[in-house]
Amino acid sequence: MDGPEDKAPMDKAMRVRDVMSRQIYTVSPTDTAQSVARLMKETGVGALPVEVPGVGTILGIVTDRDILTSVVAQGRSTSTAVFEFMTVAAESCEEGDSILLAAQKMHDLRIRQLVVVDEKRHAAGIIALADITRVSPELGGLVLDGMSRHEPASQQLEGMSPCPA
Amino acid sequence: MPGLTQDRLWSEAVILEAPNRVLRVQSTRDALLCLKNHWPPPEGNGSARSDALAACDRVIEGQDEPDVARAAFIKAAEEAHFAVHSWTGREGA
Repeated sequence: MDGPEDKAPMDKAMRVRDVMSRQIYTVSPTDTAQSVARLMKETGVGALPVEVPGVGTILGIVTDRDILTSVVAQGRSTSTAVFEFMTVAAESCEEGDSILLAAQKMHDLRIRQLVVVDEKRHAAGIIALADITRVSPELGGLVLDGMSRHEPASQQLEGMSPCPA
Repeated sequence: MPGLTQDRLWSEAVILEAPNRVLRVQSTRDALLCLKNHWPPPEGNGSARSDALAACDRVIEGQDEPDVARAAFIKAAEEAHFAVHSWTGREGA
């Protein structure tokens, strides 16, 4: 199956730093689903990096979809802590990466956001598939198309796993 | 909203109960959002709520300690007739 690297060569020069959001709202692993939802409502952001409080190291990401599917749909309490339903993401990207590489990771992992980290693995920003699509509709379309052709995952994706409670 | 990029965690959560809802708050930023967006309309002048909002702003900006925001939040919750459950605050006020 073709990946995004096989097409759209014109986007190779564009870097993550050119399209990422630098305004970043992070949450703690001990924050609750309801507090994260309140922050998402206020900021209009649907994906928030999870960082170690006081240290700043990024552990993963939590999305509005995680709250819907892993808390609400499961009948869990809205007081459920983030670490119980966040996605622990080994995958991230750096500001100097090409958007093609970021798109490839999103395609392979079937995720729509990547945290951009610095050399200390602190959050420098976040890049969403929508950011890539904005500057390169063709590349964004390829990632989406690849995601829709994948079978629903029953196996664990490399680099991503649910955080053990 | 650059202020919301920062948060100051509390040592203990505060749980507020009202008919049909429970708010669990354990950080200054979340308290600010509750006071701003999820608070009942004030019956009086709402001064405790105003004080708590100001306290949260100060704490997020690093000018005060998180416990100050927590204490102000509990007072605002009592003013709004929430039942307040907290380890160090008054129970069931």
